[in-house]
Amino acid sequence: MSAAAFIEQAAQALTAGILVGCVYGLLCVGLAFIFGIMRVINFAQGDFMMVGMYLAFFLTTNVLGTTLLGDATPFVAAALTIPVLFVLGGALHRLVIARTTGLRAVGLSAEGHQAQLILTLGIALVLQNGALILLGTSPHTVLTPLSSSAWEVPLLYAAFRAVFVNQARAIAALLSVVVAFALFRLVSSTRLGKSLRAAADNPEAATYMGIDVDRAHRIAFAIGTAVAGLAGGLIVAYYPVQPFVGVDFIIIMYAGVVLGGMGSISGAFWGGIVIGLVQQLSTLVMPLQLQNAAIFAAFVLILLFRPQGLFGRNVERA
Amino acid sequence: MARLLPPLTLLLIAAFCLAWLALGWVVPNRYYQLLLTLVPIWAVLGVSWNLFSGYSGLVSFGHAAFFGLGAYTVTLLLVRFGLTPWFGIPVAAVLGAVAGLAIGAPTFRLRGIYFALAMLAYPLVLTYLFDWMGLQEVSIPLQREHAAWFMQFQDPRAYLAIALGLLAVSLAISSAVENSRFGLSLLAIKQNELAAEAAGVDTRAWKLRAIALSGTIAAAAGGLYAMVLLVVTPASVFGLVVSAEAVILPMFGGAGTLWGPVIGAAILVPLAETLRAEFGTFLPGIHGVLYGLAIILVILLAPEGLYWKIRDLRAPRQARAETTPAQAPRPDPAPRPPIGDGTLLEVRGLGRNFGGVAAVQNVSFRVPPGEILGIIGPNGAGKTTLFNMLNGIVAPSAGDLRFEGRSLVGLRPNAICRLGIGRTFQVVRAFARMTILENVLVGAFVAHATDAEARQAARRALAQVGLEDKAQAIAGDLTTRELRLMELARALASGPRLLLLDEPLAGLGAAETEELIAVVRRLPAAGVTIVIIEHTMHAMVGLVDRFVVLDQGRLLAEGPPAQVTRQPEVIEAYLGRKWALAHAAG
Amino acid sequence: MLRVEGLSVAYGGLAALREVSLEVRAGEFIAVVGPNGAGKTTLFKAISGTVPARAGRILFEDQDLLARPAAARAHLGIAHVPEGRRVFASLSVLENLEMGAWPEAGRAAFAQSLERIYALFPILAERRAQFAGTLSGGQQQMLAIGRALASRPRLLMLDEPSMGLSPVMADTIFDAIRELHRTDGMTILLVEQRVAEALDACDRGYVLETGRIVLDGPVGELSADRLRQAYLGV
Repeated sequence: MSAAAFIEQAAQALTAGILVGCVYGLLCVGLAFIFGIMRVINFAQGDFMMVGMYLAFFLTTNVLGTTLLGDATPFVAAALTIPVLFVLGGALHRLVIARTTGLRAVGLSAEGHQAQLILTLGIALVLQNGALILLGTSPHTVLTPLSSSAWEVPLLYAAFRAVFVNQARAIAALLSVVVAFALFRLVSSTRLGKSLRAAADNPEAATYMGIDVDRAHRIAFAIGTAVAGLAGGLIVAYYPVQPFVGVDFIIIMYAGVVLGGMGSISGAFWGGIVIGLVQQLSTLVMPLQLQNAAIFAAFVLILLFRPQGLFGRNVERA
Repeated sequence: MARLLPPLTLLLIAAFCLAWLALGWVVPNRYYQLLLTLVPIWAVLGVSWNLFSGYSGLVSFGHAAFFGLGAYTVTLLLVRFGLTPWFGIPVAAVLGAVAGLAIGAPTFRLRGIYFALAMLAYPLVLTYLFDWMGLQEVSIPLQREHAAWFMQFQDPRAYLAIALGLLAVSLAISSAVENSRFGLSLLAIKQNELAAEAAGVDTRAWKLRAIALSGTIAAAAGGLYAMVLLVVTPASVFGLVVSAEAVILPMFGGAGTLWGPVIGAAILVPLAETLRAEFGTFLPGIHGVLYGLAIILVILLAPEGLYWKIRDLRAPRQARAETTPAQAPRPDPAPRPPIGDGTLLEVRGLGRNFGGVAAVQNVSFRVPPGEILGIIGPNGAGKTTLFNMLNGIVAPSAGDLRFEGRSLVGLRPNAICRLGIGRTFQVVRAFARMTILENVLVGAFVAHATDAEARQAARRALAQVGLEDKAQAIAGDLTTRELRLMELARALASGPRLLLLDEPLAGLGAAETEELIAVVRRLPAAGVTIVIIEHTMHAMVGLVDRFVVLDQGRLLAEGPPAQVTRQPEVIEAYLGRKWALAHAAG
Repeated sequence: MLRVEGLSVAYGGLAALREVSLEVRAGEFIAVVGPNGAGKTTLFKAISGTVPARAGRILFEDQDLLARPAAARAHLGIAHVPEGRRVFASLSVLENLEMGAWPEAGRAAFAQSLERIYALFPILAERRAQFAGTLSGGQQQMLAIGRALASRPRLLMLDEPSMGLSPVMADTIFDAIRELHRTDGMTILLVEQRVAEALDACDRGYVLETGRIVLDGPVGELSADRLRQAYLGV
């Protein structure tokens, strides 16, 4: 392959990596809310995304139709998943998860953390197989004109070399960045966000301030699930949904969050972008099927050699 | 041998297997026979998980890695090289052990959630790898001749017999582990890894042994599974459901128990498979929902598993009493031996920084053999950090530390214990469901090669603290005083020459304090030198030969109690400068 | 204002408090002293609700505290400056103070509270954008007190504010506490190991030893010898 062709391929992979990475970034931010604030490994995070995907698909094809909102339909549908999943997440937390965290876990054996882990595994299984029962195995995608159109960005170094930017993915990436930024502002600048951080930093002191740590966790969990649903709604425009799609994404999310450093919302976003880049750039040197294996390998390496991630915060005295 | 495989257990194993086999003979159709065969196979996977995670507390979500490797090994050896599974399965088992070590060695460096995440990743990587290698579906062809040599039988009940054989072997192994120092060491690691290290348990080595053994058994189960189903795909053997089953079955039945995995398998597998058979066509995935619900319900309602829940319901644990009728303190049999001239422990210029803050600074003192030394000081003075350096939990940033002339710097806690230093911890984490003797036994392993000798040493230690008639009592029912004594016995069981006691009197009433002090006072006569951290001054004043006073990480004063408690600097450190000045008369 | 009656608390199997009774009237400065392990922190945790009580009553302005969840107690007007300060290390100084102002009363008067806090502890104004985890021990203590003040409390509880601080820094802190009582008329419940500093400014004192109140009364009446015995055993 000529150098020019390779550069074009590399540029395409780079572009794809960034576009995909932005959405991964949003997914990671959702997980970071739950992981960072509650220190809970949520196995079901990918499955909340799956629920969002199905919901968005259903809304687009059956409810909204393409006439009213035109090309914007899938994105509106994605936005509509937010309140549904927020409520679902909050309810799940109150009914099931809260019983194993915080002060209530005092009665359980030393396996408090393990309990949450295994609990979310159970939820994941129920969601995956429940979807299988209710919705069947055939994959669905929301195909709109946008999914198959692309902008052509010419590469200036040679004639006839260009990078194709898929429009649906580009808009999804843009929306992801916007929402991730909004969430970042929520956490850093709003009173609610600060209370979430305080509850994560020192739950005992937060209680002394009058902050209801249990409620803070519930809100964080609900936000996390809602974000997963939204990201799913954005992804379904170009990635088919089937009941076990969450499994594909769970390692991506965890790799991104760990890479970004636990407890850092902005770090999680950058972590997602890096993972997206790793995934797409790996196609330059590896066969397509090993894409995800590359991510997993990267994940294991990160865990072994730099578990605090790239942006792991150090606020102790120097 | 009878200890490792108590006759009752052997009998139960045999009885269960025979009963299950009989069930298989009675059942009419092949489908149910297959179902019955799957139960012991999944139970074996559960036993393998239990051996590692159930006992050690390190939850593995990746046991499918071993299972799948076993399945593929047996299949590929048969299909590509014509090797009979009768040999193939043992080969797979060995491979499982190797995989266990290969996975364990790097992954054990990770703590808690990171460990769980890494374990999750391994089978997923393998799935993608095998997919890519073109091994998406490997089927085992039917053998026409010598079918039995290739483990292929017309009668599916033959597989049932083999599966039950494998289950019997794994249960026997599990029982042997549970009753030996292997199991107790793992349990100690689960309770409190740091305390286990300090008691002399080589945590790294035991964890590696556990995962290797676990991998062996899981791989064997996988190999047999392949032979029963006659086809392997990455999803069916490396998939999340497999890892999930490995976790769910023992947790449901009772993690950390011998029969837990069997109970879990016997209840959940038939249920799941029946549901799949009856409703699978229009409710595909119903078995997955069942497993998910089972795990949610277990965590919420019976987190320790059915086995313990049922036992607790039948014989409720008595609430721990706060006070206990005080036993008449034993009269002092021998007077205190004279304090030796030599130096047992020497601390020179010891210091430790944490991120720029000096928790301990330039502390020096020596401890002669036979002394009882008290380390005191106001809150935040650095006492615990000093102790942690003495027993290897924390490495000193500066200075030297010598025990019987040997430097201790850089040694791991279990090595220090091996040299003859024992330690108790403030928070006693006992094996609540085991006897006091078993709790103390863990401490004896480091000094005794055989389990029998260790048991004797444990009994002797219990006698030293006055608990010998409670050796068979269940630890969960003990009072605080008894727990403290048990913790002391555990440290004594390793036969230390120096014993570090970390706030042994916290939370005890006046009479209980007296008793504990009497026990401690007798120890130098048995050849144990004592260093003790405490806040309760009165008790210490009557007990110790000398005080070392720390304040803000530095050595403030040193000397006999009567002298030290009158020193103005000491009074000031405890009660404040103003008070010291105001009441200088002393 | 605060009445504790026959409070017993068991903490992981240990009886940490045995039938403790004490009273804090509006406008008073009460000190609870005692050696380590006496149960002083447990007392505060029981009042704040992070540790459950086994027996007894706690009444705050005639309201039964034990019937309220922990997070609700701050909203009643009780501020707790915890042992070891426990500032939110990953939040800035100003954000810490904002969190202190979480209850309604605090939020409404935040601007005024800030003024008072900065006047009392000028260094906090200087470092308002700095991460709280990077402050020195003494500065963190000031922040913890400021955080408590931001909630406009009716009762201020301080748990060993001098712990781990140099004598000079401890004096600064005590001066500030004294000023809060004198100038602002704040009702204060102070737990301390440093006896003289605590007893100096207070109206009445209680001595806690292994979970029991062994001595109480106006400052002058607390016997020096008995105190020394409680701490040093002689």
